[in-house]
Amino acid sequence: MFREAKTGWAFVLPAFLLLCLFKIAPIFVSFAESLQYTGITGEKTFVGAENYLFLFAEDPVFWNSVKVTLVYSLLVNPLVVVTALVLAMLVNVRHKFAVFFRTLYFIPAAISFAVVSVIWGIVLDPYYGLANGFLALLRIPPQPFFASSGQALLSLVFLIIWRSAGYWMIFFLAGLQGIPQEIFEAAEMDGVNRLQRIFRITLPLLARTISFVLVTNTALNFLTFAPVYILTNGGPCGATNILMYESYKSAFVNLDLGRATAISSVLLLIILLFSAVELKITRASFEY
Amino acid sequence: MRKNGRLNTAVLFIVLSLISLVYIIPLLWTAASAIRPAGSIYQYATPLTWETFFPREITADNFIHIFTREDFGIPLANSFIIASATIAFGVIVNSMAGFALARFSFPGKNLVFLLVLITFMVPFESIVIPLYILVEKMGLINTYAALILPAVGNGLAVFLFRQFFAEVPKELLEAGRADGASWPRIYLQILLPLSGPAIVTVMVMMFMFQWNALFWPLVAAYSNRLQVVQVAVASHRLTEETHWAYLFGSALVASLPPMLLFLGLQRFYVRGISKTGIR
Repeated sequence: MFREAKTGWAFVLPAFLLLCLFKIAPIFVSFAESLQYTGITGEKTFVGAENYLFLFAEDPVFWNSVKVTLVYSLLVNPLVVVTALVLAMLVNVRHKFAVFFRTLYFIPAAISFAVVSVIWGIVLDPYYGLANGFLALLRIPPQPFFASSGQALLSLVFLIIWRSAGYWMIFFLAGLQGIPQEIFEAAEMDGVNRLQRIFRITLPLLARTISFVLVTNTALNFLTFAPVYILTNGGPCGATNILMYESYKSAFVNLDLGRATAISSVLLLIILLFSAVELKITRASFEY
Repeated sequence: MRKNGRLNTAVLFIVLSLISLVYIIPLLWTAASAIRPAGSIYQYATPLTWETFFPREITADNFIHIFTREDFGIPLANSFIIASATIAFGVIVNSMAGFALARFSFPGKNLVFLLVLITFMVPFESIVIPLYILVEKMGLINTYAALILPAVGNGLAVFLFRQFFAEVPKELLEAGRADGASWPRIYLQILLPLSGPAIVTVMVMMFMFQWNALFWPLVAAYSNRLQVVQVAVASHRLTEETHWAYLFGSALVASLPPMLLFLGLQRFYVRGISKTGIR
């Protein structure tokens, strides 16, 4: 280490200022704004906890969003993690074709959420979509997918898995390849079967990776925006109106910044709570 | 034993191939529909025929249309400008910070490092609304600066550079000092030329982030002049009468740069993302 305070600060300063201004300050701005009411002319009045009280006491749209967000999160996160894990285990072999499949599964992660939404919006079109073409081959009647309140959230979950499972697969693959081969060889000599090998050896050794992927995923998926914006607008009947989208609508459609930032503060709190619980669960269940 | 192994491999290959259909089919259909004459897209979705995926008639009209009639070139250029500027500033600013954190001790260093860690744990999308309030106060809404500046300082990039610089032999820097070189010079002429892999990783990361961005550009720069590529694709979908052929065309064009970049620089991309998590 070089003990040159001035030089050190000079090098770190530009990034420090940018991070403070564009990453840290917004967190405080959000909280401050959520305690204010913005009038039509843009003047702000301090209203204390009123935005929050209104949300909790008399805002059914908000409560619906809370419910949808929780259901969505409880579905999508475990499914993404399990899919990614299974894909990683399948492609973790020493064959030329494994490299090809790895690359293929990863490709959606390089495509934007906007384009992925466009593609699946058309594939899952209720009238002319490709998916219904395949169902017709199997003599299954056409399904509405994003157009029905019963299937929209599930379709969204599917879209997220398709886009992101291959991305998280890379993390698990790195974790799997870090496990020393001797452990498996020793287990084989002890007559451990394949299922036991997965549940007793592989998964516990991947505990930290699983925990990281689950927590990161949870935070990111709470913030899903593009598919909802492009495909459903939160509908039908609020079925996909997750908190993230509701706060966007509140801010940029209804121009109610107080409500919008109150919602995003609640969302941030939910994210922290979920992360803490998930960390605890994944730690506990893999400790031995 | 041997025979069993081969059977396993065959089963694995079949399973992987079946899974890959879920990936290939929508992508192939998108590509096929982009080069099909406009108006005949849904005609081949139900019932399915081989023509669904392999159009008999191929045309470039959809691409010509989006570039000549709908100025798709503008959002493409905007996204390239924004991504390039972010990369140029981002590599310099974040590598400087990484250098300081790896090699210098100065008061407040731990605080700065903590800040860096916090910022890469707060996802960008979670602060878009307050960021809008801030950027509006600065009078930057509807400027390139609004789209570039918030992405320049990047905690993860600082962290990657810090890890990289920590492994550069100390003797190299000391030798530079002994020769009377100034710190900026050592940074520019000794460190940066050595850090190719870290620079490429950060470049890829920043390009992907900016090229694929939708939410922030949507709210921070809504004028047509500043439209970025993802917003253009989304607006194709959201117009009253969606022209499916043009939508497919623009989706394909918008996906080519990140896909080619990924296929070309897979090594760096994977290194970047796996460094963020493991350990």
